[in-house]
Amino acid sequence: MTDPAPAPACTADHCITCGDDGIPMTIVGHHAEPGISLCSDDAGELWPVETTLVDQVLPGDRVLVHAGVAIAALAGGGCE
Amino acid sequence: MRYVDEFRDAALGRAVAGEILSLVEPGRHYKVMEVCGGHTHSIYKYGVDDLLPSNVELVHGPGCPVCVIPMGRVDDGIAVAHEENVIFTCFGDMMRVPGSRGTLLDAKAEGADIRMVYSPLDALRIARENPDREVVFFAIGFETTAPSTALTLKRARAEGLANFSCMCSHVTIVPPLRALLESPDLRLDGFIGPGHVSTVVGARPFEFIPADYAKPVVIAGFEPLDILQAIQMILRQLADGRCEVDNQYRRVVPYEGNLKALEVMAEVFELRPHFEWRGLGFISHSGLRLTDAYADLDAERRFSVPGVRVADPKACQCGEVLKGVIKPWECKVFGTACTPERPIGTCMVSSEGACAAYYNYGRFAREREVV
Repeated sequence: MTDPAPAPACTADHCITCGDDGIPMTIVGHHAEPGISLCSDDAGELWPVETTLVDQVLPGDRVLVHAGVAIAALAGGGCE
Repeated sequence: MRYVDEFRDAALGRAVAGEILSLVEPGRHYKVMEVCGGHTHSIYKYGVDDLLPSNVELVHGPGCPVCVIPMGRVDDGIAVAHEENVIFTCFGDMMRVPGSRGTLLDAKAEGADIRMVYSPLDALRIARENPDREVVFFAIGFETTAPSTALTLKRARAEGLANFSCMCSHVTIVPPLRALLESPDLRLDGFIGPGHVSTVVGARPFEFIPADYAKPVVIAGFEPLDILQAIQMILRQLADGRCEVDNQYRRVVPYEGNLKALEVMAEVFELRPHFEWRGLGFISHSGLRLTDAYADLDAERRFSVPGVRVADPKACQCGEVLKGVIKPWECKVFGTACTPERPIGTCMVSSEGACAAYYNYGRFAREREVV
């Protein structure tokens, strides 16, 4: 498992946090910090994500991520 | 891609557009406000408005997090950023929002240590890595973003990080909607409710809109078919003589919201008596600040903040755009003195801003031709 790619993910004309974007990601595994999971976005890039606001997540679960925090669990393996 | 491609299906889009056409009464003009800037962006990116009958008008609401930040608040941030030994952190678009004497990017060019972050947790990491510096996080955004700030402050507290603080400019979505509904110069027929804010707050906070103002609300996702379907659902309610809160984005938004997120927000934040919104003025109980329990992490108590109210530039009509009173292209400086490269108003800063969305997706040229 590799370390997460460094933030930020914003582009020149779009800030995903200011834009209230929710990014669908897949739980990949645990992170060294408690409450943080390693997640993969749909491009395969890895991110540390705070997952304490969603019910227990397991590798393979899908979550909606905003500002580094999973704000919703996505049912059915994907539903962005 | 599953759950994306089907929400961008052109044939399905035309079918929903046909249903919309069948629901509108000829001779009646419908005004539907999309509350969220993310919806505004999607509408113009995908040309959703081109599929609507001419008597269905989309009005852009105040749900762009950076667009509603007043100039004085930017000045406050810049003042803190210029404090000795401070590392000032904020989200990307916020760096380009004009204050009375420039932007945070300008302040960075002048030597202030200002860094862009994607999450408040990134700011916390910077604080850990720089124990001899004061790290300030400039928190903006609606209820989508506030839980992330709250969790970060709880982590800072748990770790005993004394060099981290937060300048809180978080806002809440319901008070400005009520203010708009009370506005005498704006007649609306219904609302497309914000998708990701509702992921946190749920559908219940919007029930006052049908209950008190007899307008339908449909919470919607951000793909083009999501938005088209939400419009169809609003028009269906109007045709049936109903008004209620409906949820088109059920695949993400639970009716009760995210209770854990609401709980952590309630622990860390409290409502300010009033907060200034760009173009909308002061709105009671619409902004968040840190509770006394987190006072030691409050940058506004740790640093000297000017707190001076600054009037918007006279030429800028962001306030009227944010209230849906005028279209972006009707602003005197749209596309001339005010462009995404050199914005005067906040609506031209973020791609979720109505002016930037119009400009970036070619509405500028088209609407001018109509004029």
